[in-house]
Amino acid sequence: MPKFSRRTFLKMATAAGAIGSMPVYLNRNKLLEAAEEATIEKVPTLCNGCSNMCGMFVHVKNGRVWKAEGHPIHLKSRGKLCARGHGTVADIYNPNRVTQPMKRVGEGQFEPITWEQAFQEIGQKLMKIVDVYGGNSVVWMEHGTRGKQYADILLDYIGSPNYITHYATCFTSKTNVWPKMVGTTLYGDHENADYMLFVGRNFAGGIIPNGMNKVLKAKERGAKLVVVDPRHCELAIQADEWIPIRPGTDLAFFLALAHVLITEKLYDVQFVRQYVSGFDEFWQANKNCTPEWAEKITSVPADKIREIAREMAAKAPRAFLETGYHGLNAHYQNSVQQAQANVVINALLGNMFKVGGLLPAASLELGQLDKPVPPAKEKGPRVDGAGEEGPYATVEPGRGIPQLVPKLVEEGKVKAVFIYHYNPLRTGPDPEYQKKMKDAELVVSIPIDWNETSYHTAHYILPESFFLERMETPVNVNGHITHLSPQVAYRAKVVDPVHNTKSLLEIMQGLAKEIGAAEYFNFTVEEEAEAMVAPLGITMAELRKAGCLEFPPTVKPGFPLSAMGKPSLATPSGKVEFSVGVYKANGFSGVPRWVPPKVMPEKENEFRLIHGKQPWHSHHITSNNRYLMAISETYNGTWAWMNSQRAKQLGIKNGDTVTIASELAQKQVQVKVTELLHPDCIWLPSAYGGFSPKAEVAYGVGVNYNDFLPVQVEPIAGSVMGQEVIVTVRKGVN
Amino acid sequence: MAKYAMLVDAGRCTGCGACRIACQMQWQLPPEIAYNRLEHREKGTYPKVKWETTPVQCQHCDNPPCLHVCPTGATYKRSDGIVLIDHKKCIGCKYCMVACPYGARTLDHEKMVPEKCRFCADYVVKGQQPPCVSTCMNEVRVFGDVEDPSSKISQLLAGESVYQLLPERGTQPRIYYVKR
Repeated sequence: MPKFSRRTFLKMATAAGAIGSMPVYLNRNKLLEAAEEATIEKVPTLCNGCSNMCGMFVHVKNGRVWKAEGHPIHLKSRGKLCARGHGTVADIYNPNRVTQPMKRVGEGQFEPITWEQAFQEIGQKLMKIVDVYGGNSVVWMEHGTRGKQYADILLDYIGSPNYITHYATCFTSKTNVWPKMVGTTLYGDHENADYMLFVGRNFAGGIIPNGMNKVLKAKERGAKLVVVDPRHCELAIQADEWIPIRPGTDLAFFLALAHVLITEKLYDVQFVRQYVSGFDEFWQANKNCTPEWAEKITSVPADKIREIAREMAAKAPRAFLETGYHGLNAHYQNSVQQAQANVVINALLGNMFKVGGLLPAASLELGQLDKPVPPAKEKGPRVDGAGEEGPYATVEPGRGIPQLVPKLVEEGKVKAVFIYHYNPLRTGPDPEYQKKMKDAELVVSIPIDWNETSYHTAHYILPESFFLERMETPVNVNGHITHLSPQVAYRAKVVDPVHNTKSLLEIMQGLAKEIGAAEYFNFTVEEEAEAMVAPLGITMAELRKAGCLEFPPTVKPGFPLSAMGKPSLATPSGKVEFSVGVYKANGFSGVPRWVPPKVMPEKENEFRLIHGKQPWHSHHITSNNRYLMAISETYNGTWAWMNSQRAKQLGIKNGDTVTIASELAQKQVQVKVTELLHPDCIWLPSAYGGFSPKAEVAYGVGVNYNDFLPVQVEPIAGSVMGQEVIVTVRKGVN
Repeated sequence: MAKYAMLVDAGRCTGCGACRIACQMQWQLPPEIAYNRLEHREKGTYPKVKWETTPVQCQHCDNPPCLHVCPTGATYKRSDGIVLIDHKKCIGCKYCMVACPYGARTLDHEKMVPEKCRFCADYVVKGQQPPCVSTCMNEVRVFGDVEDPSSKISQLLAGESVYQLLPERGTQPRIYYVKR
């Protein structure tokens, strides 16, 4: 490479800027030198390293993204960011981005096309499909729910009810249960608690920086933290005690906790009398669930269960069972019942709507832009059956059953699939099955990079601009951690798009024009945003400057009561309902009762395959980031964990390569032999197993639990039951 | 005159790696070069077991072995305690990498300079915090001027019982660890 002086380089950079792009692969030292002299712009926006959307400031030098730091006000970050936040900003210059619209011309072969051609061809094909097969044959799948506001307009226009999110692979049991039992979702007031019980929830893995900060603040005050998890997760490092539990049996542990609280009269009798309905039905169903009964199922000693129940009751109402997230809520045949039992335990502690217990999210009603809506079209029943009469009547229709889509394509019921910011081929069960999606008549993926779904199934790839290159509408900042005052923030555009990409709204506008729906997308994101913040008495100019604004408190601790003084939750009785009427009406138990896991390991070489988030990855979506993958490399992050005693029995040593097999697949991976795991399971981080050759950093690195997981649908909430799979493990590669 | 030091409460670390990448972004390092790392250790046997994580980086020793072995004077120590490398003088002999008992040096293959944590020298003199300190959700690190009695680090050092890594090597590190 020829030598440049600093001055020549700067000149070059300016010249390159004039023709619209910055040379990305110049000598790094030269770039660093140039950067030293640049002025720095700090732009507030929202992170996209996971779905928590932490507030961040992005530093820009010479129009080039330099680094990020946490926003000091924003509830989720409070001046801090995790590794994902820092690493993810670098992806703007990731060479594996999709740089312009692509059309499939063969297996793994794509040709670049113009946006105009893409919109024309997709529009024509879509309208033909709608004409011939009806709107019901079209599905929109996304991580959820950032694309919903635009997807809904398209789906209304063509008459499709099929909006589907990824939630079946995540927290779907929790979101099914809480509105029915409590009428809302409540979150732990970590900072003010005196006793925190986390079960299957790794706050230091699925990270909200200020969430961990609150937990440690509570600990500094003397609060107790107990972590129950088959794996000694990162949160357990901070725990007063780690209690390993046999995976899949958390429900039995909860029922036994309730048993102790009730039999020893430790529960909040007054709270239950005033604010709970269905207590007797719950007790009748579960009065045999003693700690001794639970010990046999869970491997947690009965005395330990008693101790936890007693200590929690002593600290109540400043004690809670963390209300959970991905862990447990999409994992087992009994996930819904365990989510119900979570509500029961917290209600028995009388901690709901109390400081140091559980509190609702603070939020403000945002405005809405006045815009024409498509004429009402009759929509048929949802193609996945979610919320419809039939086997999935209790599944939330707003979330759907994504794992059924490939089957519905195969059966000819789904003809067009739109996939936005979602990668079911890697994050859904059984990738070979997921590939069937490509057989639909039209498959459109809207990603940032060459993810597996785009590479293996999409007929058209419409690249969305990176999160630093686009503006999104304002959001309430809340969830998972508590704050009495609502906050509003938004994702601001930080720099111009590096490549020929568009925001989702621009993509929808282009498509709408081709299908005669232009008038329904005839607005800008700026107009939407201004209308949304108008009722708050602020302007977007103010929000743009601050990045995040806080408003006077809206959460007042205390059980919601009507003007007459009656409990007024959004449930049929206004109370916390231990028995869910809708479940009963559909042939399920109204109250939670013991349901064993669907499968159990039995033989010497059999394990339950469990998984979890590594603190520096957001499942698979960060797996093509060079900085985050370098951490994986440094710490053997792709290795599967195995309990040392089990490893010894199988003759497996630390670092050995083993073959993991289920009925679906057989794959090789190295093993970390550890004391930090329950003997019944093998643990895999959820970040690996990339199989898109165009996502080069992730490609071929490690294995993924979804490789081994059959397609299943939990009947009440529709989850994938992601840990209901038994694998065999043997040393060696054959 | 300021004298910089760092206090690390390893017991608060949950190993998320934010400090590593925040530092890499600050200094625009390539992914494989990191100025700080974590030492992971399991203590005990299942189920009575502890997982310990210890953040390690250049200790900015007052008696730095890397400086003593440097044949060209490229490695130098500033009066504020920070150990730095003059790239123009470095000949890439790597003696410093061998001499450092903390394994804190990492070779930048592009520059052929054994690099390391700089205590964010350019930034701390402007009153900024190193990003490994400011971004940490668990507030593992505290950085500051120990000559200033009102600084947070001075106050903490007065109250905490601390230890240093490999004291027997006589390196006199400027990084202290909280004893638990």
